[in-house]
Formats: sequence, structure tokens, C-alpha cells
Amino acid sequence: MNNASKKVKKRNGIPLFLSIILVFCVLGTVVFAVSKKISQEMSNSAIQNLSESLDLIQCTIEAILKNEAEFQQMIAHEISKAEDPMAYIRAYEQNQTMVKLSLVLTGETSGLSNTGASFSPKDLDFSSGATVDDLPVSQSYLNDMGTWAYTLKCPVEKAGREIATLYVEYIYDSLDKSLPDGFYDQKAMLYIMDAKTERFVLKPKGMGARTAGHLNLGDFYRANNIRKETLRAEIDACLTNGENILFYHDIREKDSLNYMWSVNDGSVFLVGYVPIEAIQQEGRTVNQNIFIVVAVTLVAFLLCCLLYYLNQRQQAKLRKEREEEREVHNRQLAEALRAAQIANNSKTTFLSNMSHDIRTPMNAVLGFTTLLSMDADNPVKVREYTKKITASGQHLLSLINDILDVSKIESGKVVLTFEPFTLSDLVSSVDAIIQPMAKAKHQTFHVEVSGIQHEYLMGDETRVNQILFNLLSNAVKYTPEGGTIWFRLIGLKQRSSQYEHIRIEVEDTGYGMTPEYLETIFDAFTRAENSTTNKVQGTGLGMAITKNIVELMGGTIEVTSQVDRGSLFRVELEFRIPEDQADQRFWANQGISHILTVSGDQALCQSIRTLMKETGVVVDTAHSIQEVLTLLQTGTADILLVDWTLLHLAGFPAAQALRESLPSTAPLLLLADYDAEGIEGVLSLPNTGSLLKPFFVSALKEKFSEMQAHPRGSDAPEEVDSLEGLHFLAAEDNDINAEILAEILEIEGASCEIVENGKLAVERFQSSSEGEFDAILMDVQMPVMNGHEATRAIRRLSRSDAQTIPILAMTANAFAEDEKAALDAGMDAHVAKPIDVALLKKVIRHYMERKEGTP
Amino acid sequence: MKPNRKKLAALCLAGTALLTLAACGDDDPNNLLQEKEENTRVVTMYSPMEKTNPDAENIARSAAEKTIMMAEEQLDVRLEYITYTAENYQEKTYDDVAIDRIRNHMDDLYLLNPDVIQKMGEENNLADLSGLEATKNLRDVVKTANTVNGKLVAIPQEVVAYGLFINKDIFDDCKLQLPETPEEFLECCRVLKEKGYETPVGANRWWLETFVLAQAYADLYNGGNTASEIEALNNGTAKYSDYMRPGFEFLQKMIDLGYIDAKKAYVSEAIEGEGEDFLAQKTPIVMAYWGAANNETIYGNPSFNLEVIGFPTHLGQMPVMPMTGYGVDVQSEHLEDTLAVLDVILSDEALQVYTETNKVISPSKNVKVDCIPALKPLNDRIEEGVFVLGSNAGMKLEQWGNTCLIVRDLLNGATVDECMEKFDQLQAETLDE
Repeated sequence: MNNASKKVKKRNGIPLFLSIILVFCVLGTVVFAVSKKISQEMSNSAIQNLSESLDLIQCTIEAILKNEAEFQQMIAHEISKAEDPMAYIRAYEQNQTMVKLSLVLTGETSGLSNTGASFSPKDLDFSSGATVDDLPVSQSYLNDMGTWAYTLKCPVEKAGREIATLYVEYIYDSLDKSLPDGFYDQKAMLYIMDAKTERFVLKPKGMGARTAGHLNLGDFYRANNIRKETLRAEIDACLTNGENILFYHDIREKDSLNYMWSVNDGSVFLVGYVPIEAIQQEGRTVNQNIFIVVAVTLVAFLLCCLLYYLNQRQQAKLRKEREEEREVHNRQLAEALRAAQIANNSKTTFLSNMSHDIRTPMNAVLGFTTLLSMDADNPVKVREYTKKITASGQHLLSLINDILDVSKIESGKVVLTFEPFTLSDLVSSVDAIIQPMAKAKHQTFHVEVSGIQHEYLMGDETRVNQILFNLLSNAVKYTPEGGTIWFRLIGLKQRSSQYEHIRIEVEDTGYGMTPEYLETIFDAFTRAENSTTNKVQGTGLGMAITKNIVELMGGTIEVTSQVDRGSLFRVELEFRIPEDQADQRFWANQGISHILTVSGDQALCQSIRTLMKETGVVVDTAHSIQEVLTLLQTGTADILLVDWTLLHLAGFPAAQALRESLPSTAPLLLLADYDAEGIEGVLSLPNTGSLLKPFFVSALKEKFSEMQAHPRGSDAPEEVDSLEGLHFLAAEDNDINAEILAEILEIEGASCEIVENGKLAVERFQSSSEGEFDAILMDVQMPVMNGHEATRAIRRLSRSDAQTIPILAMTANAFAEDEKAALDAGMDAHVAKPIDVALLKKVIRHYMERKEGTP
Repeated sequence: MKPNRKKLAALCLAGTALLTLAACGDDDPNNLLQEKEENTRVVTMYSPMEKTNPDAENIARSAAEKTIMMAEEQLDVRLEYITYTAENYQEKTYDDVAIDRIRNHMDDLYLLNPDVIQKMGEENNLADLSGLEATKNLRDVVKTANTVNGKLVAIPQEVVAYGLFINKDIFDDCKLQLPETPEEFLECCRVLKEKGYETPVGANRWWLETFVLAQAYADLYNGGNTASEIEALNNGTAKYSDYMRPGFEFLQKMIDLGYIDAKKAYVSEAIEGEGEDFLAQKTPIVMAYWGAANNETIYGNPSFNLEVIGFPTHLGQMPVMPMTGYGVDVQSEHLEDTLAVLDVILSDEALQVYTETNKVISPSKNVKVDCIPALKPLNDRIEEGVFVLGSNAGMKLEQWGNTCLIVRDLLNGATVDECMEKFDQLQAETLDE
């Protein structure tokens, strides 16, 4: 296609090119013809011009000669009448024309000159036969004045008889005065040449370049390089015959018109040259103008061609760019279409999976509900069915949550919130969830923390939790019973002093993944499909969500896995270190300056030292009970941290000994794993408590504060989250949800008053007496007035309890942003629907306690 | 932006239209002839002309032309050249014509040879130039050589020094040292002749006198008694013939041994007779003036290694320096303008231009330029103050012209004694005067 268009272009270009050449040829021919014609005319004009000038000079010189001859005849006549001719001669005074008069009487060989000197005519050569007005004229000679001269001979007759001969000498210089002053602006050269001797006898002033000079015709030929024999022969013939000749010959590389112009029948000649440019001054201008016109025309023509060419090139370029743009556009469209098709296929597959995955638990719910209605009288079965219905419902909920999360991440609506959090809380919350799950599958779950410099950090704790939970729940899920799972939190070298660089590792001894699956593990809507994993239910969205969150936080995630050997997920994140590390003066205020740590685990001791570094508390370590007992004999410690593993082996008496070695005010804290055995007995000792491994300063601080609050020592029994006797105001527009809420609260021994929207809730709270409601449970999406507005309205009320009454959001808007919006509106906590009774109880109790603690 | 361009374009068009209209509206004068400046002041100068190659640019002339153009620009005068050079030896010489023209007051300014300077000075035909501003910077030797009867009658634009032009390549081929004394010179000629150079010394009818003058006055000008010796010659107690004899005998020997072709020299004009053979390396030695080595028309660019040395004397190589110069017709119609022109062309500024163009020795003590390598031996002698004056207006018997004529007699067959008699006769005439 392209080649074809190029050929067409070529075929179009050749005629155009030929046409241009033709135009140029025609133009050139016309210009050449015109120039030639002008040159010819100018040449003729130049010849005519020069001929006229030379004619004029010739006539002038001939007139002078004639006058001289006539005057000489007149003098001869006067002499003939004189009584004493010699006396007449002597009386004559020399003038600038007739420089010497001489008279030789007939019959004598010499005579007398007017200068008084004797005169002999034998020195004069009249052999050329030249005459002026019939008077013989001599050849030119250098006279006594050092200038070229000639003499006219005139007979003096008296009564018809020649009595003497009058010789008068004339100098050529006298001619100069009668010749024009300047010849062709002094660019031309003119000599007067004696024809017989071919000597140049005069170069009139103002006739040509003053530096040039020639002696004779031979010089002239040689100087001007006139060597052509035929030309010289022709010139010689003209000189002999007394004829004029004009010919072209270059003089000093200038085209010149040379001349030999006969004067006085060829006795003397005007010899010289005129550069053509001197004659044709106007011709040169005309030629220059023609050249300029032609040049300007050509330039204009070429300019037009150039402009046309540039325009065409620009057009072609634009066309090409448009085509390229169109091609890119088409390609993008095709790619978009393909991507859409792939996405569509992927989503179709996903929907198909989801359809299956959603139907399965739904089927269970509905099926067991049917069974429940049939076996309503059998409490054992009812409990079993409700347990299964709950499990299916939970699974269904997690499916929905994941789908919504992915949709949100993909639409870019996820916003990270940066708030202070502690690694301690993070680890303990994860531990609290994963340990039971692992335990249920008889798996061993290890939590390891190392190299962490700062445990108070800034970040989105909820999302970090989500990452950890996804990774760990997967590990639990895909690890067979009896397997092992490691959760490691490793502090890496800081890239910036303002950021803590942390690596999270989740390793398991699970089923592992094939390399093919590893390639798509982080893609949405994929799930490992094999006989083993099909037994595990999941959305397949967890890893996609995890990766997206990690990348959103500027971190990286990678995975290595071997089938049947297990997997290792490695996440690296950076968290900003808050400028004010929490309550650095806490320990000094509490009088704690020295902590003694006892552990056989060097890494644990090091970790404690590192984390305690910024608190200003001195940390001493001992590696055995005996060692610590020895140390305590000589000194003391404000807190004694004992690794339960070590103490467990030493037994209760060792614990007692330690307790006794310590001052009663110094707490004895046992660092124990989640399921430490036999610890309860030791905890019964006074001022003794336990801390979960791994060690965190915040956890220590919390434990220490707690023990200070209950100085009698042993851990207070865990308070039961009971709602007994509480009275709530609940805003809920959905009747079923309202009923469920009412029922749950009733079961928990609490009561509630339900209103249908926020406005009614505000009004009801306004009309209530102070303390009538212990808390407000607020749905968010409600008609008339939503939960946020209602909360704001309540908080704005002037009642004293308007600011303090706990308002808990209970909403199906379960995202982090929703939680943030709720808190921003003035609510105290956010509990997502469907209601998790245990969570609800825990939250309510927490806020009730806080409320009670408020002065 | 676009409206601005439009405005600009409109302005340009309006401007062009205005200019066009203005150009068309020019009024023509009724008299179409342009006024010509009349009464141009003219100074005529008589000078020789390059004859060897009439079309060539004459460097000496070009240098003089530059200074003359300076004068024309400064003084608003025009210089007209009258040129003459004899076509052959039978014709009137340049000097003869110069004398005729001076006597008839044909021109204003003349470029003259030393004999003419002295002759015309003695006839009181030349104006006294000692009042010119330019004379203040002249070297003393220049003033001495051109002062006649207490009047400075001529001033040159260059100090002319004559020397022997040696084809060094031939000398090297023949394993010859450059000659210092007349004997060494004769020995060189002998060897050269043996080597096949038929006439080792190329000569013309003008410049052979340099050999004679060098040998004659080497002691007089370099012996410390110059003034008294000249005085003795002027009052007749010493004889010119005594000084001249060794040089003439030397020339006679050269002629007798065939080192010089006397017959050819007698009828040869300067350069014409010997130049061609010298350049063609047929003749290894010629004599010429300093400027000939610089001048492309003469010996400026030879195809061989050229060296210019002084003439052989018993005091070693001796440059001969005759003083040519510009003289002014005492009755010149344009005397004032002519003197003004002379003052300009002899100023240090003009002489600097002349000397740089021509690479010659300047008459001004303030102007110096480096000479070409070939002239270095000659220049070294001059810089040492070792030279012989070819002309000296202080001597009553004119030297340059008379010696030239008597040498011609020798070439024409006269004996050395006859030539010496001629000197004695001329000296007697001066004593009579």
C-alpha cells in the first residue's frame, strides 16, 4: 500500500520536476537572447561612440596641423617681403607652439634659427613624404627641449622664385592643450604615434592610467599581449595605408576596444584602448539590472516552490500524525476492548464462583432454617442447627465484605488514615484472633518480634490489621492440622530516621502453591483450585486486597511457596515514627529506673533492652533464676521481668523466692506465651502479674498501670461484659433489625426504646430525663434524619449529658471510612452490622466504664 | 498577536508607499551637466619608465605612487607624469632629456640621477630644498651628497646602493667563496670561466663604473680624511686619475681576460643586456642597485639562491651609493605646490610607506625596515658605515656621470692611460671654472 502510494508520488513528482526545468530553460533562453541582443546593440553603440570620439580628436589634430601649416605659409610670405629675412627670423620670439623657426637660404646647406644658433636641415628626415596642407612634415624627434617635435618645411618664394626654405619646429605637447581633458573618465589610454618610426610621441595628460607608459608600438603589443599574427598583419596594413582599425582585445584582463586611428593621412596615429565597461557604463547597469530582475524572479520562484514544498510537507506531516494518532487510538480501543472482554470473562467466572459460593452458605442457612422449624422441639438439634446457621451466615458475611472491599479498592475510593498505634496492640489483637483459630486446627502459632526500634508508630492500624489477618487466616486455612505458622515482625535498617522499616513475615507449613498459581495469586477473582483447597471456602479476593493495601501504603509484598512444603509471605512497610514518643516521662514519674530481666533467650533480652532504650530505664539481664537471686541480694529492681519458660522449670518455690527477694512494691511480671501452663499458681503471689510474649513497652506500661490501680496484687478476675440492667435508646428504621436488637438486648438483660429515625432519636433524648438512657445505639442510614446528623444534633444539645452519653454507630456501612465518618460526627464507637453480640457487649461495656469513670 | 502582525504589515506597506512616492518626487535640474570643478592644481613630474616589461606593475613606481597619492589627498593637487626612457643606446639618454627639459623649464618636479643633479645644481636650475620640513630628518650622508654650492638641490625617497648580484648556487657548485678583494674576484672569474661560464660578469653601459668607484674611493670615504682629500681634489693638488687608475686597470684586465664582454656592454641598456642571462643562470655575476633584488620585474624572484655583496676592494666588499633624488625646477610655474608635494612625499610617514613597500634604505634616519635575506651582506656593510659614495656634489668634478662616460670609452677601446688623461682634462676644466 505504502509502496504504491510512493510510486504514485514519484510519478507525480517527475512531471512537476520536468515542468520546472522546462520553465527554467525557457526563462534562461529568453534572458540569454535578450542579453545577447542588448550586448550586440551595446557593442555597436560602443564602436560608434568610440569612432565618433576618435574622429573628433583626429579632426582637432588635423585642424591644428592645418592651422600651423597655414600660419607657417603666412610667415613665409612675410619673410619673402622682408628686406632682411634673417633679421626677421632672429626677431621671432619662441612660443609654446612654434618653438623654433629656422631659415635656410636657397643654395646654402645651413641657415639660422631664431635662437641665434645655426641650423642644418640635414638632421631632419622628410623621407616619409607626409605633408600638411602640402607642406612636407618631418619624422618626429626629440628636440632640444627634451620633448617630441616635428618640423614643417615651407618654401619662401619671392616673385615666383624660391629664395629660401622656412623650417618651423612644433612640439606634440602643444596638441595636449587642444585635446579633451580626460578620455572616458581616464579609464581609456591614448597615445599619439609617429607612423614611420612607430614611436609614441605623446601621451596626453588625462588620457589613461598614469602609471602605464609605452615607448613604441612594439612595447604596446608586448605589454598588452597582442600576439596574433593575422591581427598584427592587418594592423600593419592599416598603418601602411593610413587606415583606421578598431578591434576587440583584452587589456589587463578587461574586455577592451583597441584602436589605431589615422591622422593627417596616416603620418601620425592615435593609438590606444578603451575598456568596454568605460564606454558601456549604462550597459553594465542594464545588465546588472537584468541580472537583478532575473535573480529576484528566480529567488521568488524558488521561494514559492519552497513555500509550496514546506506546505506540502507540513500537510503530509499532519496527515501522518493524524493517521498515527488514529492508529494509536484504534490500538488503544482494541486493547481496551480486549481488557474489557478479559475483565468481563474474569468477572463472569467470578460471578459464577460467587454464585456458587454464596448459594452454598445460603443454602445451608435456608436448609437448616427448614430443619429448625421441623425440629423446634428438640433443643439439642436446635442448638446444632443454629450453630451451623451462624457459621454459614458468618461465611456469607465475610464473602460480602471482601467483595465490597475489592470493589472499593478498585474504584480508588480507599483512603488511608494515619493515626498513632502501637505494635503491641497490633500483635496482641492478631494473636488474640489467630491463636484460637490455630489452636482449633491443632496448629502451632509462633509470634516473633526482633530488631524493632520503635513500637509507637503512625499508620492505618485497621488496614495493617487487615493485611495481617488476611495473611494469617490464609495460613491457618491452608495449613493442615498439626502444622506450624510463624508470624514474624522484624525491624529492618531504617532508610530514614523518621520512619520505622518493618518486615512482616508469615510462614506456614501448609499446602503451598504451584508456580503457575503464584503468578496470579495477587490478581482479583482468582483462587487456587485443587482438590485440597476446594475444601476451603473463600472469595479469592483476600490476597488482591492485601496487595492493594500494601501498595497503597507504599510497601511491597512477595511470596515464595513450594507445594506441600508451605509458603512464606513477606511484606515490607514503613511507618512514620511520631515525634512525641508516648509518655516518655511515665517511668520517671512512676519512680521506675531499674528493671531486671531474667530469660534464657538472648534475643528476648536484647529486644527488651532495645525497646526500653528510649524510656531512660536501666535494663539489667540475668540468664538464670540463681543469678537473679544473687543479684537481688546485693541490689534491687523496680520491676522484675521473668521469662515464664525459665521459671516454669524452676518451679513455684523459685517464684516465691523471687517474690520475697523483691520489695513488695516492685511488681514481679511473668513473660509468658498465650497458652502458658501452670502460670495461675504463680500469679496468686502478691504484686505478681503476667505479660504476653512478645515484649512490648506499651504492654508493660499498661500492665504496670493496671497493677498499680489494683495494688493487692494478683490479676483481677476478668470482668464479664454484661449488659444487665442497662437501658438504651436505639434509632433503627428497619423493623427486623430493630426486633433483633431488642431481642438480643433483652436476652442480655438490658432494655431498649426504639425510634424510627434520627430526628425522633434526638427528640426522644431531649425529652428524656438525665441518666434515663445509658447509651444510644444509632443506625446511620435512616429516613428524615440520618445517624450522623442526629448525633451532631444530640451533641449540640445543652444538656449536661449530651456530650458524655455514649453513642454507638450500628450500621451496615462497615468500611473504615464509614467508621471515621461516624467518629467525626461525634459518635464514640462503630459496630458493623450484622450485629456481633459479643463485640457489641464488649464495646458497650467499654464505654459504660469510661462513662462511669468520667467525673 | 495576530492583530499586531497585521498592524506591523500595514505600517511596512505604508512606509514603502511613502518611500516610493518620495523617490518619484525628485526634481530634475534644468541644466543636466553636473558642475565640474575647474582649476585643478597640477604638478608635472618627469620620471623614467619601466621598459623591460611595460605591462608589469613597477614596485618602485607603486611605492612612489602611494606617497604621491598621500600628497594629492593632503594638498588637493594632481600629479601628472611625463615619462621617458631611451629606446636604444643611440637615442638621447634619460639624463640628456632631463637636462633639456630642466633647461627649458618643461616640468615642475624631476627624478634625477646624481650627475644631472650636480650639473643642474651648478647651473642653478634646481630650487633649494633645505627649507623643507622633511629635510630635518634626513641622514647627513644624503644631505652631503646632494648639496651643490651650499644648496640642497635634490632629496631621494630611497638611498640607492649598488652591489654585485651573485648566483650563490653556481658559486657553491664551483666551491667558490664570495670574493672580498679584486684579486679574489679575478680568481673567481677564472674558475667560473674554466667551469664553462663564458662571460662570468654580465654588464651594461651604465653600471660598470661601480667597480671603478669602489676601488677608487674605498680609502677616501673610509680612511678618516675624507674632507681634506676632497679638498685636495677640488684644488688640484690631488688627481682624480690617480684614484681612478686601479679600477680602470682592473676593468681592463677583466676585459682582456674575457670576463666581461666589452662590446656587448657598450651597447646594452641597464638590465637589458645582462638580465636575461643572469636569470637563466648563464651569467653568475651582474651588478645592480638594491631595489632590483626586491623588484619582481628585475631580479626579485630568481630560481636560484641570490646573494648581494659589495664590490671587491682591498678594504673588502664595498657598497657604492650614488644619490638619485627629486629636484624641483627653480622656475617652476607651480613651485609652491611642488615644494608642498615634496614635503609630503619625503615626510617620515610617507617614507615609512615607501620603505616598507620597496624594502630599501630610507634617507630618513627615523625610518628603518628589515631587508630581505639576499641583501643582508650588503646591508651589513652599510650599517657598519662602510661604503663609497657614487656621487658627491662636494667634488667639483662630477663623478657618477663622468666616470660612466669614461668607462664607456674604455669599453669602446680606449686605453687606461687615455681614460686617465680624460679625467685629468676634466679636472683641469673644473679648476679653470
